Amino acid sequence: MDGAPIIVAEGVSKKFGDNQVLTRVSLPVKERDVVCIVGPSGSGKTTLLRCLALLETPSEGRIVMQGVPISTPQPNAEIKAAGRAVRSDIGMVFQHFNLWPHMSVLENLIEAPLRAKRLPREEAIAIAERLLAKVDLADKRDAYPARLSGGQQQRVAIARALAMSPKVLLFDEATSALDPELRREVLLVMRQLASEGMTMLVVTHEMGFARHVGTRTVFMDRGEIVEEAPGAAFFDTPKTERARRFLQQFED
Amino acid sequence: MFKYQFRWDTVFGSFDFLMSGLQMTLIVSAITLVLAMIFGLIIALFDMSPWRILRWIGITFGEIVRNTPILVQLLWVYYVLPIVFNVRIESLVALIIGLSVYQAAFISEVYRSGIQSVPKGHTEAAQVLGLSPLQSFRRIVLPQAIRMTLPPLASNFVQLIKFSSLGAVISVSEITRRGMELSASNFRPLETFTFIAVVYFFICWPLAMGIRLWERRLQSR
Repeated sequence: MDGAPIIVAEGVSKKFGDNQVLTRVSLPVKERDVVCIVGPSGSGKTTLLRCLALLETPSEGRIVMQGVPISTPQPNAEIKAAGRAVRSDIGMVFQHFNLWPHMSVLENLIEAPLRAKRLPREEAIAIAERLLAKVDLADKRDAYPARLSGGQQQRVAIARALAMSPKVLLFDEATSALDPELRREVLLVMRQLASEGMTMLVVTHEMGFARHVGTRTVFMDRGEIVEEAPGAAFFDTPKTERARRFLQQFED
Repeated sequence: MFKYQFRWDTVFGSFDFLMSGLQMTLIVSAITLVLAMIFGLIIALFDMSPWRILRWIGITFGEIVRNTPILVQLLWVYYVLPIVFNVRIESLVALIIGLSVYQAAFISEVYRSGIQSVPKGHTEAAQVLGLSPLQSFRRIVLPQAIRMTLPPLASNFVQLIKFSSLGAVISVSEITRRGMELSASNFRPLETFTFIAVVYFFICWPLAMGIRLWERRLQSR
């Protein structure tokens, strides 16, 4: 846990019409951090992640990547350009995988490296094959997403995100859409990435993962960060009543 | 049933005459499909335009065309347009204009639903991975949208083949018109129109079945 943060949310608020979803949330993520964001549904976890992924524009505050602002409520040309420049440094894994169904697994993996990074085809394929082996799906190289199980699809989606060699990887409830027996294979891949030092921001309902793999747990409720604690401390000694009540749900 | 002496030879004796009508039917249908696809795309772009005035034009046009009978539209193009604009319109041209406008109004909906059927998450994934909006539309949205629209477009072609028979009313010499002319001279409407119905059926039915198979294959992928 060293050095300056890679990506920081600085006082980020987000309103959809009259609905205040985030209220001045500040969250720095340092290199090799595995920050797990937990909290009841509707607490703004996903919106925070989408702001960091530049899929939403904050109504207030800003997103800063390695000291450079990349997203503000009314971005000028300079900030927009900075956002485009770091686009591929921020990877995201979605709840519903979002693989492109008209492309094979390999094509899903090489599309962005070929077009956004302009890598030579052989190099993109080599990277893709290495990543597929890493998520244990080398034999599915030419399969189409619809032929894969949910767990396999999500592992392909993780490999696709890794193909752009991001500096930080955002997970938006990556296991929530999966049957319980398929979650493990995805969590194992995520755990492996964490152990290799990948910087991760994980919105999750998997308390086991947050407790054992996360370096930091952030508890959000009603658009605010209520509590923040390193690793397992949040689970052993929650400081606020709201956090205690939230954790009780997972006891039975 | 009454006793009827079938005289199929009266029909087959004019086989070439009828087949030249069929040729006209297929040419009209094909030209109309191409025009309707282009015109439909323009209407679809109007419908999805960020400018309210263009959206209003596209939607109004589509509603009017979809909610009036095709035959009335054909008669309108053939008899009213010449009066209003003081031009002579050949019956064939009138048929092609009328049919392509009518089909375009339906095809524009096909395009729109095709584009909107691509889940937002697919373009968000493209955005996060660094594809530009244009790359994302060309590589992610369009291939999926086209796959969704091809079978409905083919169904439109089948519909066009049948609708083109309305050309008979404004004396376009497609196969139905040829049948009317033939039965007026051979006094054998039963054989003549039965034969024509069979010809339509054996063109449209295989096409419709093929499209159904095609759609099923797309869905299973």
